[in-house]
Amino acid sequence: MTQPSSAPVQSAGKGDLIFTITALAVLFLTVVPVGTAVFFLGFVKGDSPCVMCWEQRIGMILISLVGLFVLRYGPKPKYVGMAVLIAAWGMFMGLRHVGMHGARDIGQGFSIEIMGAHTYTWALFTFWVCVIAMGALLLMVRPAHLDGAVRSLNGLERLTGWAFVVVVAANVVQAFASTGPPPFMGQSDPIRFSFNPRYWHWSLEEWKPPIKFALRGRWAVAKPDVSAADADVAKGPLGTLPALAVTSRTKLGVALNGAPTDLAYDAATDRFLVTTDKAGIYLLDGTLASLDRYTVIDIGFAVDLGRFAGAAFLDKGELIAVGENKSFVVLAPSDSVSADENFRYFLESRDKFREINRSRFGTVRARMFYVSSAAYDADAKSIYAVTVPNSIAKRLVVSRFDRKDFTLSEEFVPALDDSVGLALGKERSLGEYMVSGAVVVDGMMYAISAAHRTLLTINLATHRVVAAQVIPDIPAPVGLAAKGTDLYVLSADGSIAVVPRPVPVPARPAAPVKR
Amino acid sequence: MEFLTLVLILVAALFILRKPEKEQAAFRMLVVSTLLMIFLFSLATRGGLLPGLNF
Repeated sequence: MTQPSSAPVQSAGKGDLIFTITALAVLFLTVVPVGTAVFFLGFVKGDSPCVMCWEQRIGMILISLVGLFVLRYGPKPKYVGMAVLIAAWGMFMGLRHVGMHGARDIGQGFSIEIMGAHTYTWALFTFWVCVIAMGALLLMVRPAHLDGAVRSLNGLERLTGWAFVVVVAANVVQAFASTGPPPFMGQSDPIRFSFNPRYWHWSLEEWKPPIKFALRGRWAVAKPDVSAADADVAKGPLGTLPALAVTSRTKLGVALNGAPTDLAYDAATDRFLVTTDKAGIYLLDGTLASLDRYTVIDIGFAVDLGRFAGAAFLDKGELIAVGENKSFVVLAPSDSVSADENFRYFLESRDKFREINRSRFGTVRARMFYVSSAAYDADAKSIYAVTVPNSIAKRLVVSRFDRKDFTLSEEFVPALDDSVGLALGKERSLGEYMVSGAVVVDGMMYAISAAHRTLLTINLATHRVVAAQVIPDIPAPVGLAAKGTDLYVLSADGSIAVVPRPVPVPARPAAPVKR
Repeated sequence: MEFLTLVLILVAALFILRKPEKEQAAFRMLVVSTLLMIFLFSLATRGGLLPGLNF
């Protein structure tokens, strides 16, 4: 290549290893990821980048372009600055893209896989390597490199420059065919690349209103707040329902370290279990008047347990506390553990329980929903949790986990039993109920909803709501326990309303589902 | 819009290689291309700018 006579020129002299490395790095970045993407994946295999892939590819091209600036004008701070900014943005783009698919099942992803990883993962990796390479190159910068003179390019550097031009020109062709001239732009789900214009599809879908920006989108799910639930029993999705009369009222007779969040009862030991929003676990006697033992969990140790929202007695004398994030801890009362041994698990009263297990429930239908309840079915050896609605979505999902391995066994969205006279209002849904306490007795789940103060009875065999009653005049319920023929409804202020447990409806063959 | 971004990049590269005295013009094209990339990516991900992951 001939140098223009108008430009000041100096030759690359000895010791300019930094320029050789830069040229090789730019050549590699241009030819391998970007060149392969456009020539092989694009022109040969017909792969068209999605809009996010386009911007990541352009990010790599821009870093290469900065490399050309460095080769011609030296590593001026403004070029280094641009390279760092572009690489940092590129890593963000890669992470944003990986975030859409990174948690899918094994082998799943978007578009094609290359050497065990999808393209967006390689983009993240490439930008990461760029940052490392730039850091290494910066260590080699000397004052003489910053004299501002325009350098003449040697053979390798010219080859790098023209390879860049060829690869970018090919990308211009692909971009014109795939995305079109302005204002058309890349698409979320691009159509296969072709040189034949009859298959070109230029889209304005990304410009469609509303042009509204949000930071976390559907991940911005607020934590459940039962106190904010609508208490009006007349406005529930099932319309006017019969009321359950409160037969007696009582109060927790023990001072807790925080507000109670759930209640459970164990007939075998005649004890109640209470969890609190300050990670407290309390075992009370059968009259709720005296404390048997308690502890406070270190919820930040290893698994983030979040705020306790559900509690249940399991078998073998063990109990479970479930966080609203579906993480859980299993404990067993014990008088043979030392406080020192339990230092890592408990913050207070460290010699009263053994920690058996601490992990997280995985869900499918209930994913992206918090829960506010837990129940145990000894017959089915299963633990249950029920989703609560949020500002993004309202869906009532019952999740069943195996007691043995704490893994999801079943999930269902209850339907209404069409023989019991229940009917949803127009455009209403059971998902509006906010189940804040649940208990299982004889194959029936009793679920108390803080919204509209409604007790739902769900047949776990048929997956149908077989009864619904309201319990007016109670503060926001947070927990539910069954003792004998009664249900104990615990509220956040520690008050307890006792109501008769509705008589279970016998299981019957499944009828057509009415949602 | 990607087409426009890439054309700007191509012209900037040609300036660097063939007309190095147009350093400022080439640099402006680099900056505009970078801003276009950031804008287009943000537009495409406007419903959730941050990665969809637990933080």
